[in-house]
Amino acid sequence: MLLKTLNFHRFKCGFAPVLRASRLFSNSPPSDVQQPSDESISGKQVKPERKSVVPSNSRFIYPEFLPDPKIEWRNSLREKLERMDMIQRRKHIDIPEFYVGSIMAVSSSNQHAPNKATRFVGICIQRLGCGLRANFTLRNVIKHVGTEMKYQLYDPTIQKIEVLRLEKRLDDELLYLRDAPNEYSTFDENMEVEYLPEGAPVPVNPEMVKLKPRPWRARWERKNMKGLADLGLEDRFYERAEELATPWEKYDLMKQYRKTIPEEEQKEIFAEVYSELHEVEVMRKKLKRKKVFIKPTKNV
Amino acid sequence: MNQAEVSQLVSKLRIRINPRHKNLKCPEGPQGRLNKLRKTVNALFKYERLELNYTLADETRGYAERLISEAIRHGDTHKPTMEMADYWIEEKQLIHKLFKVLVPRFNDYQTSYTMLYRAPKAYPEIVYPRSVLELRGNPFPAILPQRSDQRNFIHNVLLDEAKKAYRAEKYEEITKSLEEQRDE
Amino acid sequence: MSKIMKRTVFDLPSSFRITFGGPMVLQSRTAHNVRAPRIKYPLWYLQRERAKDDQQLTGDNRAFVKEAVHDKFGMPAVIHGISTYDVRSPLSEDSVECLNVEWNPKLQRTGLIARKLGNYPMWLDNGKSVLSTLLQVIDNHVIKYIPPGEFNPPRKPYSCPNHKKPLGCLLVGAESADPQYFTKQYCGLFYREGMMPKKYLGRFMVSPEAALQPGTPLLASHFRPGDFIDVRGKTIDRGFQGVMKRHGFHGMPATHGVTKSHRRGGNVGHGGEKGRIFPGTKMPGHMGNRYRLHKGAEILRINHKYNVIWIKGIASPGKTNSIVYLYDTILPLRKHKSPPPFPTSKVADDDQLIDSYKEHVYKFTDQTITYEEDK
Repeated sequence: MLLKTLNFHRFKCGFAPVLRASRLFSNSPPSDVQQPSDESISGKQVKPERKSVVPSNSRFIYPEFLPDPKIEWRNSLREKLERMDMIQRRKHIDIPEFYVGSIMAVSSSNQHAPNKATRFVGICIQRLGCGLRANFTLRNVIKHVGTEMKYQLYDPTIQKIEVLRLEKRLDDELLYLRDAPNEYSTFDENMEVEYLPEGAPVPVNPEMVKLKPRPWRARWERKNMKGLADLGLEDRFYERAEELATPWEKYDLMKQYRKTIPEEEQKEIFAEVYSELHEVEVMRKKLKRKKVFIKPTKNV
Repeated sequence: MNQAEVSQLVSKLRIRINPRHKNLKCPEGPQGRLNKLRKTVNALFKYERLELNYTLADETRGYAERLISEAIRHGDTHKPTMEMADYWIEEKQLIHKLFKVLVPRFNDYQTSYTMLYRAPKAYPEIVYPRSVLELRGNPFPAILPQRSDQRNFIHNVLLDEAKKAYRAEKYEEITKSLEEQRDE
Repeated sequence: MSKIMKRTVFDLPSSFRITFGGPMVLQSRTAHNVRAPRIKYPLWYLQRERAKDDQQLTGDNRAFVKEAVHDKFGMPAVIHGISTYDVRSPLSEDSVECLNVEWNPKLQRTGLIARKLGNYPMWLDNGKSVLSTLLQVIDNHVIKYIPPGEFNPPRKPYSCPNHKKPLGCLLVGAESADPQYFTKQYCGLFYREGMMPKKYLGRFMVSPEAALQPGTPLLASHFRPGDFIDVRGKTIDRGFQGVMKRHGFHGMPATHGVTKSHRRGGNVGHGGEKGRIFPGTKMPGHMGNRYRLHKGAEILRINHKYNVIWIKGIASPGKTNSIVYLYDTILPLRKHKSPPPFPTSKVADDDQLIDSYKEHVYKFTDQTITYEEDK
């Protein structure tokens, strides 16, 4: 029985990895996310009809809610307190769903700026950390100078986070844009928000990046990047890369296990935070509707 | 701070996981280490009970558990799982055993799929701690003695009597309190 | 006379050296013929864990033992986020005299036993980020009070400026546990007070005015946000380490003709008259696994529901999930300015107050930080 349900879960995650959060939220029945905490242990006894309301792709939308998998540093109470603080912060700021490769705009308080606030537009090239330390890096070229800004996701000085274009790239990290020509990371500061149709999956931008000639900041030929066009190196570089490759690592089951949070624990975590997150989402929608309602009256 | 990997989902293992892997003496590096472990995992699926050095057995246990849990989770139609089984099991007929014998056997288990016991060492030849690693539900006689005469041990007999006396006292108190309530 | 003198000299610890004035100075170089103090363990220094053996109890009997334990001490319960036992009879009869004295800066309060939970960032009201360490006060109860006259430790606090003050000893325990796992003599420590055995014990020197009844619970509200505390714990054991890691030496260059000594310490001695290695020279050796004190850590926030204290900085010794001891700070300029809860805080009846913050610390329930325009 469980095998079937698990397979079903897997199917969902594997083939429709990212759906719009808003759609999922509106589909799922509100409140009552009370789950038996020992469901993970006594998974066999649970009837298949009692499916959790938590969407299975939460781990892609809220990866920072999953704790650091390093066993020595784990403590359940600390993780819980951290999650509570994160939710408190999310009540004051809309942190939308975004991925590496999305184009974002962040407005933050800045004591030294003329209006005491700055807005930075750029492509998200890296997303790191978990809990309150979660951060992301935006990159843009401003006045022919490559500029990067690293933001803490839960920093209280951040006023607004907008996703101008929601999309993914082929890689989980776009640090190679630093070695690419400026065209690849130039974005208009006055860019309009591009809306995706409701319920559409997040598109993957298959753009291949052609790097500038060496020297580079890293030996990209050794990193197995999918989004890099032909690097145009001599054979000896590729030979050396092959020598240093570790193809056996994908078979190291325990190494993988130590880097992940098991499914049962993830379910517990998201069952705990989901109701609150859902409430926040509903609140925000109401506010948005109000705003929309106000606009035409202003015009009239 | 690191971030948990979200690209794949794994089931929780029901064994204690060491924070870090244990080093096995291996001149060939990490690849040689996996080759070494592959032999023992293969042998464990073949013989179902092995006597090994403790370090090796402890490391092997994790890999065997993970392989079984992956097989239970995805079944034999899942390509990556089959690839993994193909890598870890050298004798290919044992792949059939994994999916057709072990998966049905462990499907309803609420505990770990393997057991690890400490074994005596042969002093003075062997200095490293030894252990016995086995798959649960194997056909061999149990390693720990099954005491059917437990309840005849003196402390169990005494505790039985104490329990009776304790219960009797408790019931008496309860009846007393009930009677008092009635009187009131 | 000389015999008596000799005896006194011998029986005193080596640190208690008597100077007889004039020529009869007992120098530290000759100290090796003075006997070291005989180690006398305190009364709570007992064999704690029971020898592990399978008792071959039947299932019924095992359940019965558990039932008897729960009947006697209380049912297992989660209190303040810790799985412990709902102990019914904590406060025993007044065995300790309670002097209702007002707090004054010369009095010494008890400390707490806490577990280090890890660290995460907090923000101040001006938008600055600070790292904080979380310490959870784990189910602390006073076990015993020994008045100053009766407490006679083997090693006197000779170098401590407080040694002239008569200080009593307060024994505090943390984390209740099933008595089945401990020896009979260890359980006996807690028996008279009607408490479950505690996993961890701590000794705190207190003024007699700050003595507490055995069984008094100690909570995180013993301290207030904005107070400064000292955190004592065992540092992470790093094993045998070189000078670069152990003492922060710079090592030597990687190139420019340097061979085989990139991480070595370099010269350790002098020549001529000083041709020896001075005692205390920094060299490779064992690092960590020592008790160390992190002094003057500021409390940023206290959670009264889970008894968690956030302190500023990540310098407190020990790994995550290790045990640390918390004291009022000994730094003279950071001592309490206003009276703290004395001798300790009371258990609050209303559970309204969950979080209390220090001034100028950003609360996560607050609005986004914005700066005002200059005028």
